[in-house]
Amino acid sequence: MTDPEPVSPGAAEPDVRLPLAAYRRMAFVLRSGLVASLLLLAGGIAEYFAHHPGATAQAILATNPIAGYLSLSGLARGIGRGSSEALLTLGVLVLVATPIVRVVSGFYYFQRGGERTMATITLLVFVLLLFGLLVFGPFVK
Amino acid sequence: MDLLVFVLLLILTGIAAGLLGSLTGLGGAVVVIPVLIVGFGATFPVAAGAGLITILATSSTTGSAYVRDQLTDLRIGMFFEIATVPGAILGATATVLLTHANLNAALSVALGIVLLGILPGSVRRRHEELPEGVVPDRRSKSLGLYGEYRDPVTGRSVRYEAADTNSALGVMFGAGVISGMFGIGAGIFKVLALDHYLRLPMKVSTSTSNFMMGVTAAAGAGVLLAAGYVNPFVAAPAAMGTALGAYVGSRVLPGLTNRSVRLIVVPVVAALAIETILRGLGLP
Repeated sequence: MTDPEPVSPGAAEPDVRLPLAAYRRMAFVLRSGLVASLLLLAGGIAEYFAHHPGATAQAILATNPIAGYLSLSGLARGIGRGSSEALLTLGVLVLVATPIVRVVSGFYYFQRGGERTMATITLLVFVLLLFGLLVFGPFVK
Repeated sequence: MDLLVFVLLLILTGIAAGLLGSLTGLGGAVVVIPVLIVGFGATFPVAAGAGLITILATSSTTGSAYVRDQLTDLRIGMFFEIATVPGAILGATATVLLTHANLNAALSVALGIVLLGILPGSVRRRHEELPEGVVPDRRSKSLGLYGEYRDPVTGRSVRYEAADTNSALGVMFGAGVISGMFGIGAGIFKVLALDHYLRLPMKVSTSTSNFMMGVTAAAGAGVLLAAGYVNPFVAAPAAMGTALGAYVGSRVLPGLTNRSVRLIVVPVVAALAIETILRGLGLP
């Protein structure tokens, strides 16, 4: 069977500047982050059930269990003692960090391909993300 | 309610949200937030925090599949993040700082009207499998905002290019603001911007919207996390269910025609637009 002609709505040329490896690497970044996060979240839930068999949804909805673990030291201490809340917090943080790592990965490929405009835009997005997470978030709080 | 039952119900809700979100590009928070508020009595901040986590789960799940298959346009997605990210930071800040009920209501009504205004164009193109007569603008040409994917339905390569980038940038900024304010991915706006203004094939629009949504959600996450809006006991089961639903959806989408995807998206967007207006007007 012969390969059919591309269906084109216009006169576009195929995108040859982003290598296939860029697509594969970014897909890998997203998949790895997701799997790590889901394992941590499932582990945190299982750990909580093991120690709080009679817990109710109402009690959970009324608390803010993440508050004590948003600092690096608090999170490290919580993980060290096997706290379910700390595991869940780490799972949430990994999930948040995953698209940010993807942005860094995009910057790397645009930079390597000599695409200065796209690399600059991606870098700016990364800086804004860090600003929102590390500066603006705690400041607004 | 027993916590185990609550967790199982949230996982089921997440599966439905992930399936719908992955097919439509709407993320899934639009399902999780109302269920949490109406079904489980969660406050809006807790529901919004869980919605945010749902979006991240959908985005990473579908992203890993659609990016690998090159159905997601990396270049277009990453370019428009320059508009959605500052919008999301601004929106999340407004949620925490501004508690004026009338402002939220007025915004809801305005957004619903904007959505209803954009919809007829999408309805008119319901028989169109691929966009026709697309004229790329100068920015689109200079940044190379075009691409190509292999469509498993037809077995052919489909090339496309982006048209009106200025209008799309404005809508994307608005999508970011909404995302930050309401804890949703604002995928409705992203999909419509990608479809209506950039004139991309529908499958590329929904998959690129989901791809972008992760970054938009991450931008607003700092504010919502610091403000204590993310309850991991609510977010975790929702995320697990969403990932499962989105995985199933990501296997289904490539096999659908662009027309079929549009037929799924348009009614969902119309329903959401009407619901948004009614909510803004304080009607049930």
